[in-house]
Amino acid sequence: MGSKELTRKRAVPFPLFEVDLFSASPDELREMSKTMGLNLSLEELETVKAYFKARGRLPTDVELQSIAQAWSEHCCYKSSKCFLREHIFGIKHPDVLAKGDAGVMAFDDEHAYALRVESHNHPSAIEPYGGAATGIGGIVRDVLAMGAQPIALVDPLFFGPLDLMSVPQGVKLPKYLAQGVVAGIRDYGNRIGIPTVAGGMFFDPSYTGNCLVNVGCIGFLRKDKLLNNAVRGVGDVLILVGGRTGRDGIHGVTFASAELSSRSEDESRGAVQLGDPITKEPTIHACLEVNERGLVSGIKDLGGGGLSCVVGEIALAGGCGAVVQLDKVPLKEAGLAPWEIWVSESQERMMLASPKENVESILEVFDLWDVPATVIGEVVKEQKVSLIFQGEEVFDLDLDFLTKGPEYCRPTAASNVSTLLPVKEPQLPESWNSVILSTLADPNIACKDWAIMQYDHEVRASTVIKPLQGKPGLHGPADATVLKPRTDSFRGLAIAIGVNPWFTSQDPYNGGRSAVDEACRNIIAVGGRPHALTDCLNFGNPEKPERLFEFKEAVRGIGEMARDLDLAVPSGNVSFYNETAQGPALPTPTVLGVGIVEDIRKCVTTDFKVERNPVYVIGETREEMGASALYRRYGGSGGSVPAVDTSVLRSRMDLLLGAMSKGLIRSCHDCSDGGLAITLAEMCLGGDLGFEGDLGALGDLPTAVKLFSETNSRFVVEVELSRAGEFEALAKEHAFRIGSVGRSRMTIRDKGAAVDLKTQAMRRAWSEPLWRSLG
Amino acid sequence: MKLEEIKVCILRIEGTNCEQEAYDAFKALGADPEKVHLKQLIGRSPGELRRELDEYQVLMLPGGFSAGDYVRAGAIFAARMKSHLAADLENFIASGRPVLGICNGFQILVELGVLPSFDEIMSEAPQAALYTNVSGRFECRPSYLKHENHGKCVFTSLLPRGEIVAIPVAHAEGNLRFPSESEEEFLMRLEENDQVVFRYVDPNGDYAGYPWCPNGAIGNIAGICNPEGNVLGMMPHPERAMFRYQHPDWTRSGGKPDAPGDGHVIFRSVLDHVSKRF
Repeated sequence: MGSKELTRKRAVPFPLFEVDLFSASPDELREMSKTMGLNLSLEELETVKAYFKARGRLPTDVELQSIAQAWSEHCCYKSSKCFLREHIFGIKHPDVLAKGDAGVMAFDDEHAYALRVESHNHPSAIEPYGGAATGIGGIVRDVLAMGAQPIALVDPLFFGPLDLMSVPQGVKLPKYLAQGVVAGIRDYGNRIGIPTVAGGMFFDPSYTGNCLVNVGCIGFLRKDKLLNNAVRGVGDVLILVGGRTGRDGIHGVTFASAELSSRSEDESRGAVQLGDPITKEPTIHACLEVNERGLVSGIKDLGGGGLSCVVGEIALAGGCGAVVQLDKVPLKEAGLAPWEIWVSESQERMMLASPKENVESILEVFDLWDVPATVIGEVVKEQKVSLIFQGEEVFDLDLDFLTKGPEYCRPTAASNVSTLLPVKEPQLPESWNSVILSTLADPNIACKDWAIMQYDHEVRASTVIKPLQGKPGLHGPADATVLKPRTDSFRGLAIAIGVNPWFTSQDPYNGGRSAVDEACRNIIAVGGRPHALTDCLNFGNPEKPERLFEFKEAVRGIGEMARDLDLAVPSGNVSFYNETAQGPALPTPTVLGVGIVEDIRKCVTTDFKVERNPVYVIGETREEMGASALYRRYGGSGGSVPAVDTSVLRSRMDLLLGAMSKGLIRSCHDCSDGGLAITLAEMCLGGDLGFEGDLGALGDLPTAVKLFSETNSRFVVEVELSRAGEFEALAKEHAFRIGSVGRSRMTIRDKGAAVDLKTQAMRRAWSEPLWRSLG
Repeated sequence: MKLEEIKVCILRIEGTNCEQEAYDAFKALGADPEKVHLKQLIGRSPGELRRELDEYQVLMLPGGFSAGDYVRAGAIFAARMKSHLAADLENFIASGRPVLGICNGFQILVELGVLPSFDEIMSEAPQAALYTNVSGRFECRPSYLKHENHGKCVFTSLLPRGEIVAIPVAHAEGNLRFPSESEEEFLMRLEENDQVVFRYVDPNGDYAGYPWCPNGAIGNIAGICNPEGNVLGMMPHPERAMFRYQHPDWTRSGGKPDAPGDGHVIFRSVLDHVSKRF
């Protein structure tokens, strides 16, 4: 604990140290920050020093540790806030009901849904099973804290190539990480009984040392049960419920706010928490019940920084402070130092604030579920927090100082946006057939049922449009999943992910815009109207100007799209420092989109339905091959990354949703990775049917562009044969008729070129790769 | 008795997690379900929450991971029931009232010894096991079941024999096994007693291996009842197929999306039985 010269043990029968900041040299301060695991800069330490000088006393280790948690990048967004304020925070939307631990949006007159996505990257890189499991645990608590029943989990995952056989020291094999992460999500998500309905698995060499594990959760609640993560005022007490507190998960946030290194395994193993879904599951029931009965003032989740963050935040949100009896906290083992109890990120814990007179009823509810619940403190008028441990005051800080972390507008520097670079054409084999089969087998495109079927995606029985679509056993992919959260209404929620790290790497602004376009396309394709976005922005070290430039541009793109499309962004998460000595992860802005489905009975899936039905491309195809799956696979580079015209996206959305409500559209799939060729192939798979057509209608573009360009805002639709005229009258210039649903092969002609593939062969190519790699 | 008077006890402990949809299934058909914690039935809850098993006409053990399934699936829930509720449960079953165990519920009924229960209502030790799936994996997928009961099972009285229903599975331990020395005998007794209710088949209705039999269960068995026909355990989840729109292929199969799904008949049958008999 601390460098010896600077720390002085106070004369109490437990570990408590005072730290002599006043006499320390800058070098000693830096050294102390390191040995105590504070991860504070010299400038930040000087601010701390000035605060205590003014108070006329030395800080305790409990206080310093607490400040380090509160001021970490992870907790206070010190490097991202200035960009988020400019592009995201100001977005107004009438349906936003709350922006707390999770965002909350109106669903209908009486109900609301909550949404949030965040990262659990660093812990998962060290311990994939536990890191991913506790990621789920954390995001579920965020949603629960709003008073919402969690109803769906969403997990976009990013790994290095699965066939990689050697990795740098301290890095784990991508295959091991992927298996561990999926198992962690499976065992936690399935046990708490919340369906994992969407996500994705992405592979790139840059993720080898920096796997990204993003976890999202959707919740559902009655509007009158919405909670605001705040105490109501003096007279409230603080009740800590759920798991016990131990040494697991100490320094999780400070660890997440630095680059990983080959030493992270040994140094930071203790930063990874231990998940316990069978404490979480009853904790969910009990929290919802005490909220339902109106017994609580507010609930807040114990996540990053543990008690040290939650107590101050829940009290300050209600305009108050708190006094906590730290020795009342139920422990996993005896002998924890006060600072360890205060900053531990042990899992499955929630903080409840309630009026004193409700305590007995609340404890009774938790007792029925055998979940520990303990009054640990009370709310006070003065906006400060003090901690008492065995009668000794070990902590006394003003909340204004503690929670107002530093904020930096660090410099950014434009990197080369490759849209401006010359095009290097990919080296393509002779036959389009082999290009299509090979692209279908690209791990980024291939079927993810290896993971999807390990997740219980149907528990709660409200998953009405599923993550695998088509004939049972012969499924194809889904664009979005649809939930029907009420038993007495056909209104639904469409849930989808949009992210393209390769676009973002070449052109961060258009990469951010494309992520939103993709999330919207996916929602529209099932019959939903995009309503809200939440994002998990995974980037490299923000102290490096070129990384921060990528972040700034992606955020600008996302913010503009949200404004133009009237989408709310009620929550979000930033994860920096996804970077090792080998380099950064691709800049990865993951967008989780939620749409409203007016009537789930009108939903549409991706699988072709009936032979001879006409097939249309909605939206024109442009020569936008930059960072496309084709270029990546066959060594192309440069070229334009797809741009977005929001007015065009809007009119196509209105067109498609209108046609779907009239029942004109039998299947719909957005054009995304792999372009039109892969979209058509995937539609054949789910329906176990074929396609026959000619791309002449797409104009005078090269065949490679028609087949593989990833131009945004495009869809392929199958229209009921007898109603083709009606559809064409509605669609006008947006629709290009390219052929019709075939029986068992995909045949595409364009000028002299031809594709002719059996659906069965395409299925083999698409279905098998992940099973072969992951077993 | 009237449908709305039929009280259904949906029993749960920590980790039971399919109770809401089980509740919704009975509610949708007009019965009176209640989610009840085991502690409420064994006198370990505050007074106003106390319940007696005898107050209910149907007992339902829903799916999930009760107590984490960390020992063996269903073992902990079964042990708690056996030590505190054995007599009440035996009386309940002896009175002819129906007991339904789905997924984890089936595992619990087997651990309790009330299935297959050849010679007594509740055997002292389990006579079967729901072993780890042959794939070694959690399997969440569509499955097809052939109804094979000749009429004894009160949960399928309205489903013609030989009918194929599409009901999804989601489990890691659904591989029904008997002690190897009694395997043949037990299979024969199941047949003789008309205890086989569902077998896994492929979409054409033929017996098939993985993935149509998702777990490798002996004889493709997906669900069995006791010799009296009032206790049913099954791995697939009928409560997830109450309406067409819950089926995986409803957008292609035509018909009204909100028409009853293939799991509906199980809940309808048992409520029909109870309303006629009691």
